[in-house]
Amino acid sequence: MKESFFQRKGVKTFLASLISIMIGMVAGIIVIIVVGLTNSTIADSTIWDGIRLVVMGVFSKGRDAVGNLTFGFNPAFFGNMLFRAMPLILTGLSVAVAYKTGLFNIGAPGQYLAGICATLFVALSIPTSSVAPWIVWTLAFLAGMLAGALWGCIPGLLKSLLNINEVIACIMTNWLAACLVTWAFDVSSLKNVIEGTKTGYIYKTAMIINDYELGGVVGVAGPELPEGATLLATRGNVATAKMGLDRLFAGSQVNGGILIAIVFAILLYVIMEKTTLGYQLKACGSNRHAAKYAGIHDKRNIVLSMGIAGAMAGAAGSLYGLSGNTEFFWATYQSLPAVGFTGIAVSLLAVNNPIGVIFSGVFMSFLNVNGLQLTNQTAYNENITDVIISVIVYLSAFSMLIRSLMEKKKEKPKTASSGEVKA
Amino acid sequence: MDDPSQGNSDYVIEMNHIRKEFAGIVANDDITLQLRRGEIHALLGENGAGKSTLMSVLFGLYKPDGGEIRKNGQVVKINSPNDATALHIGMVHQHFKLIEVFTVLDNIILGAEDTKFGFLSRKEARARITELSEKYGLRVDLDAKIEDTTVGMQQRVEILKMLYRDNEILIFDEPTAVLTPSEIDELMKIMKNLAAEGKSLLFISHKLNEIMEVSDRVTVLRKGKYVGTVNTKDTNKQELSNMMVGRPVQLVVEKGEAVPGDVILDVSHFSVPSRIHSRNAVSDVSFQVREGEILCIAGIDGNGQTDLVYGLTGIEKSNGGTVSLCGRDITRLSVKKRGEDMSHIPEDRHKHGLILDFTLEQNMVLQRFLEAEFQNRQFIRFNAVREYTQELIERFDVRSALGPLTRARSMSGGNQQKAVIARELDRNKKLIVAVQPTRGLDVGAIEFVHSELVKERDAGKAILLVSLELDEVMSLSDRILVMYEGEIVGEFDPKKVTVQELGLYMTGARRQDGKGGATA
Amino acid sequence: MAFLIRQTLLYAVPLMIVALAGVFAERSGVINLALEGMMIFGAYIGVVCMNVMVSLGWFDAVKASGNMWSMQWYVLAAMAVSAMAGCLFSMLLAFAAISLKADQTIGGTALNMMAPALVLFLVRVTAKQNILQLSSGDSATWFMVKKAMWGFEKSYKLSVMGEAFLNKVYLTTYFCILLFVVMAVILYKTRFGLRLRSCGENPQASASLGIDVIRMRYIGVMISGALAGLGGCVFAISTANCSANGEVSGFGFLALAVMIFGNWKPLPIALGAILFGLFKCIAASYSTLDVNGDGYFALANLGLNANFYRMLPYLITLIVLAFTSRSSRAPKAEGIPYDPSMR
Repeated sequence: MKESFFQRKGVKTFLASLISIMIGMVAGIIVIIVVGLTNSTIADSTIWDGIRLVVMGVFSKGRDAVGNLTFGFNPAFFGNMLFRAMPLILTGLSVAVAYKTGLFNIGAPGQYLAGICATLFVALSIPTSSVAPWIVWTLAFLAGMLAGALWGCIPGLLKSLLNINEVIACIMTNWLAACLVTWAFDVSSLKNVIEGTKTGYIYKTAMIINDYELGGVVGVAGPELPEGATLLATRGNVATAKMGLDRLFAGSQVNGGILIAIVFAILLYVIMEKTTLGYQLKACGSNRHAAKYAGIHDKRNIVLSMGIAGAMAGAAGSLYGLSGNTEFFWATYQSLPAVGFTGIAVSLLAVNNPIGVIFSGVFMSFLNVNGLQLTNQTAYNENITDVIISVIVYLSAFSMLIRSLMEKKKEKPKTASSGEVKA
Repeated sequence: MDDPSQGNSDYVIEMNHIRKEFAGIVANDDITLQLRRGEIHALLGENGAGKSTLMSVLFGLYKPDGGEIRKNGQVVKINSPNDATALHIGMVHQHFKLIEVFTVLDNIILGAEDTKFGFLSRKEARARITELSEKYGLRVDLDAKIEDTTVGMQQRVEILKMLYRDNEILIFDEPTAVLTPSEIDELMKIMKNLAAEGKSLLFISHKLNEIMEVSDRVTVLRKGKYVGTVNTKDTNKQELSNMMVGRPVQLVVEKGEAVPGDVILDVSHFSVPSRIHSRNAVSDVSFQVREGEILCIAGIDGNGQTDLVYGLTGIEKSNGGTVSLCGRDITRLSVKKRGEDMSHIPEDRHKHGLILDFTLEQNMVLQRFLEAEFQNRQFIRFNAVREYTQELIERFDVRSALGPLTRARSMSGGNQQKAVIARELDRNKKLIVAVQPTRGLDVGAIEFVHSELVKERDAGKAILLVSLELDEVMSLSDRILVMYEGEIVGEFDPKKVTVQELGLYMTGARRQDGKGGATA
Repeated sequence: MAFLIRQTLLYAVPLMIVALAGVFAERSGVINLALEGMMIFGAYIGVVCMNVMVSLGWFDAVKASGNMWSMQWYVLAAMAVSAMAGCLFSMLLAFAAISLKADQTIGGTALNMMAPALVLFLVRVTAKQNILQLSSGDSATWFMVKKAMWGFEKSYKLSVMGEAFLNKVYLTTYFCILLFVVMAVILYKTRFGLRLRSCGENPQASASLGIDVIRMRYIGVMISGALAGLGGCVFAISTANCSANGEVSGFGFLALAVMIFGNWKPLPIALGAILFGLFKCIAASYSTLDVNGDGYFALANLGLNANFYRMLPYLITLIVLAFTSRSSRAPKAEGIPYDPSMR
């Protein structure tokens, strides 16, 4: 009895998500067609290219001699898809964990920023000339998670102690994080002055940054020191291990971070489904009053849940920063990282199931990569993928409801009447 | 009796052969009800007899599956409350339909507003309402917000709402359930006034005293079926009661003499702040519960019983006095620590008793999941949980579609309550706090719960029972405390006190410490 | 001083009108988290509308005629179009939240993602860059009311108040204040307002009195969308120099905060919006702020980091919420889908 029931429920959930995806894609394609037809600068052939790229841009192999799109397995795009899936899975987990505890974590962007900020500070401040890079990496990663967790705890505390709605608190802490991060980098010495081509970026963690002294003046340089300078310390040279993935997906940015994200997903699944901690968190999420009645510390669990959620979003930022070659634009006070908001979509599409988050995260990054191809190869741009994602979120707002209705109908008629008489 | 199948314009409202089903359950089966102009017509029946359904049909909230409704002999269709209002049918719902943050005035005019140049003409409305309230003796403060008014005034607001709409047929759905005795008296007077002014009243109740006092005729329903209509002056309580339950009322609990032992719960000068107003909801309460006895706290709903239980179990903080349990001071302890010696059958199973989205098995270990039996290094032992649940299901006859894997939400209310009781009794604690443990249960289930509680008592448990049902109080308890406005106003031996006497204490007419009225 | 008042109003007015937009939805019982998205959409449509009018040569015609006042009709027209666009966009939320009984927070979040994505997509396809601007001229040249328009000589020196309220101002500001008052009166003094508010408190009671809750909620959300779209347009005209780039600097979310600490009531909302406007104004221009005109830049001389001032509105929101959350009263039924079978 148990097996078939759960199997059917799982299948139904999967189908519902699949339908959401299909409708989202169709909506995106309709936008492409409508815009293409109404805009005189877009040729009809471009519309067809656009549709194909939205659906399978990952398989794009560029244009052939006569300008037609060609498709096939492209290891670089596949690798990049996995690379981009990493932060999405983690922010998705962040939203999912909070959701299980009955909290809507719209604060993932802020937690992500807190994570990337702490990570970059640690990774770029500790001299790797005296501390082994892998230790610096570990410290930086832990710092990122911790910063994210602390930032997540703030709305958690406000909710449990002062009963402030977590949605509004998260929105405020997002912008606070954006301002604080800008402030912190503004007064730091981590702004990239070595590769002076673009301004406004922080050092990449994989760079080699040499602090030197020349004639009593301290300066920073890349691998090449100015003549006559004495090397004081070397910083940087910190990056997540590739773990062989770079050979599998040649030419891509992918690294071991995606594996860490998957491990976290499995870990959270086990915690939520198999342990007493998960039981408590879910109890608080489903019925705070009953949890309190049963002696479960509801306030502590709210903070704890937001802390875990923050740690996940922090890890997302951290691993993104630690991939070595990503650049961080520090004056971010006017915008929030989209990956934090996309985490909501990732989680909802996966019905807040940590294992499902892995797949929906990969799917969202699949859309992202498709979108980039759209920008590169047509007159369209990648924002269409966000339109598709928002449609999917919109559908999930009521698909969850429909699923729970289906479930209820299944169980009810079998109940033999006994005990109560309807008043 | 008149032939119910013929339209007859002696009647202002006739409901003929009404049938209404809900998902296979027949709530109304061929029910006929005829209301004369200017009479007070009582509709009597137990919980679940179909009274509320019938009235909802009349008020347009439900569409009947069969039968017809006539007004003044003409067949009418009532598909919505709007239609009912157009036919001048009004209803005071059991749970008042009021907007708490609106003023009394706004509540009365809502839905029937007059406007001038598009603006509400509150001035004219005020004049009309004042006139109505004087005519029928309905005292209200038009500028008070509903949330600041008493339940009695809220009910008068509901009545004024009907009068403001010129309703002729007034339905009262269990209007006395929430009132104090003096408010009940006042309501009875108002109802007679209304009838005297030519309004026709339908009065739903299961309280025989009120029916005998105020009604002209009574229609009795039982289990969704029509039993009969009688003139009040030609009948008596016993007959009505027999019609209502189909057998003489007998609520007898088989139990022997109590053998009280050591003190288990010792409550001393205990106070709990109110969640609503600035006064204490429970003030300076002292009592003890011994092993092997059932101590019952009786009282009308809302006199601090709920807050007392919250304070004792640790759900809310207390602000004075001490509580000790099994010799340990638990005044400042957490819910969990208190739970080591106390189990608690809560008043509201949906709010506190169960997590409706959890399965039955998950609900069964709500307090116990951290015990070694159910977890191993913080990993839940699912097999142990399932076996345990299975055992409880069998022992307490909890019925559900999927056994331990049933979602609590999909279970019937009676089985939900049984599940909660099973869990709490099996925790095997010295003190059992049971708040309205039989609420919403049918007779068979009530008997089962009562006998279980007596069994626990005989096994040496201390039981603190909070009940609003005087029958239950009288038959189950070994000692009775009456609570009134947050204080204990009397202690009684159920064998030596009458229901009438308890009533006097419950309504504040008497108290034993001599502060009010005469001493017992 | 005049600058400070003018600038504060410029920020406060969109906040105020959008917060009131939130009130209409939430008082009818629907949480409108999508204020931001509706503003973004309204702002975009407003700018598109202006661009169309520029390309039709209407603005140049006005300039040629010399009577800049008639330009204001076009501004109002653009606002009306934005309001309609916002209203249409809000139907998405209304449909999900009311008809499908969806989770309102998620539905709102979806719209908040959809609006910037769609707008940026369209902007980039049509404008070939990340921002859509007027093809000629800007807000200041076309829409700003200057003292010359009142018939004052260029050399005439206005009083501080005159300078603050008459010179270099936008008509949108005053139009919005008027609209705010009108809408507040509708909410409290009319049959419609009374019924709308009842649906957000106790829809079952409203239904028992013959009020069509579903319809009232639809209307509430649509008014909300219209006001938010209009607010977006005002934002674009008066603070974003008539440009649209798929964001409104988080004004929609700030408006949400203003609404919450205004306790869902118009007057406190107006005051809250002014407070916020002040802080936004300080954050934007603290370094050049010279309150009493003595050439002393008090705030700049404090030496605080710009980011501190940027954080202030958000920080203040949290602090105010911390103090008021216990006494604040959201409409009782907000966020709960109305189910006629529940009684």
